[in-house]
Amino acid sequence: MNIDIKGIVVICGNYGSGKTETAVNLAAARKKDGVDVKIADLDLVNPYFRTREVRVSLEKMGIDVVLPNKKYMHADLPILAPAVAGMIQKPSELTILDAGGDDAGVTVLAALYDHLSRKKVHMLQVINPFRPFTENVKGCIRIKEEIERSSKMKITGLVGNANLIDETIPDHIYKGYDFLKDVSKETGLKIEFITIVSHLIPQLEMDRFTCPVLKINRKLNPPWKRV
Amino acid sequence: MAKVLMKGNEAIGEAAIRAGCKNYFAYPITPQSEVAEYLAKRMPEVDGVFLQGESEVAVGYMIFGAAGAGERVMTTSSSPGISLMSEAISYIAAAQCPAVFVNIMRGGPGLGGILPSQGDYFQATKGGGHGDYRLLVLAPDGVQEAVEMTMKAFTLAEKYRGPVMILGDGLIGQMMEPVEFPDDLKTEPTNKDDWATSGMSTRKSNKRNLVRSLFLDPKELNDNNLALKAKYEQMKKEEVLYEGYNTDTDYSILIVSYGTMSRVCKTSIDMMKQEGIEVGLLRPKTLFPFPEKEIFKASTKESCKSVISIEMSMGQMVEDVERCVKGQRKVDFYGECGGDIPAPETIINIIKGLL
Repeated sequence: MNIDIKGIVVICGNYGSGKTETAVNLAAARKKDGVDVKIADLDLVNPYFRTREVRVSLEKMGIDVVLPNKKYMHADLPILAPAVAGMIQKPSELTILDAGGDDAGVTVLAALYDHLSRKKVHMLQVINPFRPFTENVKGCIRIKEEIERSSKMKITGLVGNANLIDETIPDHIYKGYDFLKDVSKETGLKIEFITIVSHLIPQLEMDRFTCPVLKINRKLNPPWKRV
Repeated sequence: MAKVLMKGNEAIGEAAIRAGCKNYFAYPITPQSEVAEYLAKRMPEVDGVFLQGESEVAVGYMIFGAAGAGERVMTTSSSPGISLMSEAISYIAAAQCPAVFVNIMRGGPGLGGILPSQGDYFQATKGGGHGDYRLLVLAPDGVQEAVEMTMKAFTLAEKYRGPVMILGDGLIGQMMEPVEFPDDLKTEPTNKDDWATSGMSTRKSNKRNLVRSLFLDPKELNDNNLALKAKYEQMKKEEVLYEGYNTDTDYSILIVSYGTMSRVCKTSIDMMKQEGIEVGLLRPKTLFPFPEKEIFKASTKESCKSVISIEMSMGQMVEDVERCVKGQRKVDFYGECGGDIPAPETIINIIKGLL
């Protein structure tokens, strides 16, 4: 099943759940489908591995990337580019806001509340059950509530991002999917899509998934894998 | 236990819990603040304490107090914060109390930057604080090793009754890798009678101890320094850790590199191997004690023409490498320290320039 998501999409979730990898792969996949894509890095809490590190490759694909001023690229300061409010007011076909982790990471959304409250927004919670604090349904719901309180917004859908990076095997994907169905049942939230690293796809029985699948080509790699 | 995906900083926090550490004091600083965030959540679950000090100076003395009381205790910080703690580290070394310090290094000097660096090699291995003391320094190259070394640091601190440091660059704290935790550390220090000022119920005797670093009598001060010296000599005999990579080949160049930088070197070595160029790597896992004999042996292998120390600094470990090679081979250096980690291609070009 293909992903057909459009409009304003906020990617949030607990710290280290894979928000940025999901956001940049979603941007790339939708751009390939011919959709006009804008992406903003709202991660004000994480010092490394942010959307800004893959700016060049996204821009080469024709994706509009909104970042803080270049001279503050490596600052651990809470800078919100004024252009973000502009992109919410005049969104492109798909506008992705990559938020920071946990409740602290989405505080920035409350600052954009005036702009966001006038629009229909997909607020997606990314879940990797192999991460601490979201290994059970209760933990996922707690993070959901904390994010909603801090952002003043409601989560509208779930994204499954079950992985152990290089050590991911098909079993992790199946287990992660079943887990996500439990979270969905408990919260009443729709599974928007799940992610699977592209090289695993031939090894999987894809008809087990009744939701769309986002293929992941890892873009945020440590320096020894950047060859 | 199944593997979980963790950031280095979180994994260090969890490793401390599994090592039975119930006392964590810290002050936030990028790029290691996640340790405090993680332990703020986890410590209450194990009836432990996380207390944020008003500064790193205060934290250093909280550590001293808890260590003197016979408690397992840890702090984590990054470069400028460790500078502020260095006075307390010197006091703790003099008073011979066990404590674990983690330095997730950022660029310096001064406030420097928030990106990865190995600029605190001298600070960690040659002093930092004043006086005749050494830190036992463990340098992980990834998240799994950070876990194992953090747990080991507590037993080493207790064995030698002194401060032990985990030295990782910012990437070690920030990157995510799958990790498996070893069994919880079940052992309790058996030498508490020698130093602890409390916890009589867990001790063999009711010996009263005084935690102090002031020795006004010259003989007493000299004796205390001799006791410290004896421990450092024992560390050199018993605690050296290192890894050889591609060292079973007839390599023509030997790289000495540690931490994140060594992983880039490994990728470069693999790539050069495909071109038929053999390069060896010796990775110190303990920076003090330093693998002196091992570096001498690896550098004097007949096929080895020269040695290069590759660091994310302006040239610090290279001085120890030169000392170990004893003039038997030419020792070169390559380093970057702005925060951009050199790419495998950069290392390959440097090595090819030496051939």
